[in-house]
Amino acid sequence: MIGLLSACGGGDKPEARKADFARQDTFPSTYKADEATPVLIRGATLLTGTGEQRLNTDLLLKDGKISALGEDLKAPRKATVIEARGKWVTPGIIDVHSHLGDYPAPAIESSQDGNEMTAPNTAQVWAEHSVWTQDPQFALALAGGVTTLQILPGSANLFGGRGVTLKNVPGRSVQDMKFPGAPYGLKMACGENPKRVYGGKGSLPSTRMGNVAGYRQAWIEASAYRDKWQDYQGKGGEEPERNLQLETLAGVLNGEILVHNHCYRGEEMAIMMDIAKEFDFQISTFHHAVEAYKVADLLAENKVCAAMWADWWGFKHEAFDMTEANIAIVDQAKACAMIHSDSAIGIQHLNQETAKAMVAGQRAGFHIEPRHAVTWMTLNPAKSLGIDAVTGSLEKGKMADVVIWSGNPFSVYAKADQVFIDGVLMYDRDDPSRQPHSDFELGILDAEGERLPEGGQQ
Amino acid sequence: MNKNTRFKFYGVLLAALVAGAAPQLFADTLLIKGAKIITLDEQGTLTVGDMLVRDGRIEQIAENLDAVTADLVIDGKGKVVTPGIIAPSSELGLTEIGAAASTNDSAISDAPLGAGFDPAVAFNPQSTLIPFNRAGGLTRAVVLPGSEEKIFAGQGFAIKLTGGYDSVTQTGLVQKVYFGESGAQLAGGSRALAYAQIEQALSQAGEYAANRAAVRRGDWRELDYSLEDLDALQPALSGEQPLLIAADRSSDILQLLALAKKFNLKLIILGAAEGWMVADALADAQVPVVIDALGNTPSAFEALGARMDNAALLHKAGVTVAISGPGYAGSHNSYLSRQGAGNAVAYGLPYEDGIKAITANVAEIFGLEGGTLAAGNLAELVVWSGDPLEVTSYAEMLLIDGQPQSLVNRSTRLRDRYLHPKAGTGHAYER
Repeated sequence: MIGLLSACGGGDKPEARKADFARQDTFPSTYKADEATPVLIRGATLLTGTGEQRLNTDLLLKDGKISALGEDLKAPRKATVIEARGKWVTPGIIDVHSHLGDYPAPAIESSQDGNEMTAPNTAQVWAEHSVWTQDPQFALALAGGVTTLQILPGSANLFGGRGVTLKNVPGRSVQDMKFPGAPYGLKMACGENPKRVYGGKGSLPSTRMGNVAGYRQAWIEASAYRDKWQDYQGKGGEEPERNLQLETLAGVLNGEILVHNHCYRGEEMAIMMDIAKEFDFQISTFHHAVEAYKVADLLAENKVCAAMWADWWGFKHEAFDMTEANIAIVDQAKACAMIHSDSAIGIQHLNQETAKAMVAGQRAGFHIEPRHAVTWMTLNPAKSLGIDAVTGSLEKGKMADVVIWSGNPFSVYAKADQVFIDGVLMYDRDDPSRQPHSDFELGILDAEGERLPEGGQQ
Repeated sequence: MNKNTRFKFYGVLLAALVAGAAPQLFADTLLIKGAKIITLDEQGTLTVGDMLVRDGRIEQIAENLDAVTADLVIDGKGKVVTPGIIAPSSELGLTEIGAAASTNDSAISDAPLGAGFDPAVAFNPQSTLIPFNRAGGLTRAVVLPGSEEKIFAGQGFAIKLTGGYDSVTQTGLVQKVYFGESGAQLAGGSRALAYAQIEQALSQAGEYAANRAAVRRGDWRELDYSLEDLDALQPALSGEQPLLIAADRSSDILQLLALAKKFNLKLIILGAAEGWMVADALADAQVPVVIDALGNTPSAFEALGARMDNAALLHKAGVTVAISGPGYAGSHNSYLSRQGAGNAVAYGLPYEDGIKAITANVAEIFGLEGGTLAAGNLAELVVWSGDPLEVTSYAEMLLIDGQPQSLVNRSTRLRDRYLHPKAGTGHAYER
């Protein structure tokens, strides 16, 4: 699945890849969707994720893919037919910023595996190696319509490590959940966190300028490492020694690994984009970009996405200049804007968070309709993750990652009634047998039952 | 349509502000016409109704007040009027930026005071959190101390969100105490110790009350708490002041019910993630709860039973439920209690009870003004663009103490400055 990168990923970089820096196959995806019988969803209102709202339209899922959208589609043999008049259908929600599994529930000390706070550069760590697949929070996110999510390491470090994109399916191993072919992400962090963590220890960085020196130094080393391997590939000689930290950074320089940069302030985003130019790489997305609206034109110009909250603010100084119109302003400036959660609660309500951001945009005077706002929780996060060629919208041939909502998903009363991943019904609100329970939930609170007596998803 | 009403109203407001006019001059009479009015009082809900406000008080609510003229008439068609939202648990005016210690006054460390700590004098009516939450529909709030060292955090107070120096309406409102996991950690490692400390403090407060002169003379045995703390516990001990005790686990809640019975306390449970499991006991004891209705993850071993229909189940059993803003949002977004209430309704709480949980019930539990709309009441209300529990609705007009309030805040100011961001120095001249 090479070449998925688009708007946000800067796919126009020439193929310079000779050495395998991404090591995509070291912990390969073993995810395999269960066999899916065809599903015909009849008569729903579709928000396609491509800018359309289609009334009373049928959607056919076949062989795990979206097979057709249209009027009066014929049900294939053995198809499950769902009468969905009055209901709404969207692509599966994609959360570009999650720590599920790395910061699982219950949050006890021994399970806090999301932040390798031992050095300002820990690009060598991979979030997937911390994921507790039995985190009961995955199933709650599924009940909220989330079909894909990126698990990122935390933000204590300038370079936090690699993130991983998962399908929100139960897995015994994290490989069972890995999104096939999804490129890796590198988590970077601007601002207060790294300087607080390391400044407190009396080491670099203790300031924002220290942060920037740390990034640049690392990119110098990574560039040299990449060149060394390229020389070896081209000219032969002695094989260079592998370095896990530099491999990840070199993967970014080669355009295989996407940069996901925790960065709140407009000033810092501008500097990070300059660093990217200095070392010739692309930033995929600024996360927690509370001040993205201040530099929305620069984001558009540099083809950098911004992942934002609807209304969080004030928990730290760099989150003080919040406006609820943030996503809308970024969007209207033609940059790629999206909602994200960074929260086990927020991830369950990304439709509501998107709704709030949409209304803030309307109140700002922008003409923004649900058919467009839905892209903030589907297609744009797919772009950010480099998987938009295969998911994120209801288009023929894409993965059948689909949510059937009880009503308009931008209503507080709407619920994800059914959630399909690759055409397989992974969650059904009305059918306890299609509601997953992690190992943790069995026999807890009630030795003979599950965590909650009535199905667990209430 | 919405926009016109809003801007018209801002126009009135701005003109008055520029002129330096006192708020009383806005309008002696205000008439809201043709709105859905949810009174939460005897009149119930008027699908289409009018409301007349005179000199800051509600004078009349009726289906039709066509004969009445007013200084300011608001077209309420398609809009919904409710009492103002009241936050049952916040640090409004005590915190500005969470991670900036110098801007936080809610918790103390290394000080002798526990129960006696009263943060009301630290309250800042000009906090940026106040206009932002007010724009979200919040008119009043309970402000609570936190604690980093002691299970007795201190006393809560009540505010109105006018931003005026007279914002604090009641002090000594509640005594806040930690039980459960956090209480256990603060007490020294076990819930049993936290429980013993609460019992001991209350017993010694009683002992002190009965022997006050001797204790003060030094003719009494050494007590474990300062006289300030023991004094501060008297209203709780006499049942005048509620103890707001944090607990989530069902067994913890039952222990607190026993404690309340033993000392004849007025108890409010804060948290109650597993409240639904002991809802009947809470109802029997007539103990209300303050919950985060979005908190459905088993985030701690004491909250394994957390679920979305906690509010619905508690209500069904007869418990008075107040809903706070979501835990992740903190006081900066206290008004998001309405999103919590909307979700609680989606998961089975009857609609009007959802609105009560963020208005009338909060007023009732803490003994505050507001919470209902009725003739004679202070006009404390919000005119919403639509269903107040929908995340797509917003406050178009808001009255506190009968006076219209500004809905402008840093979020709207920044929005207007950067609506179309571009290079250059121009932004700095946009006001």
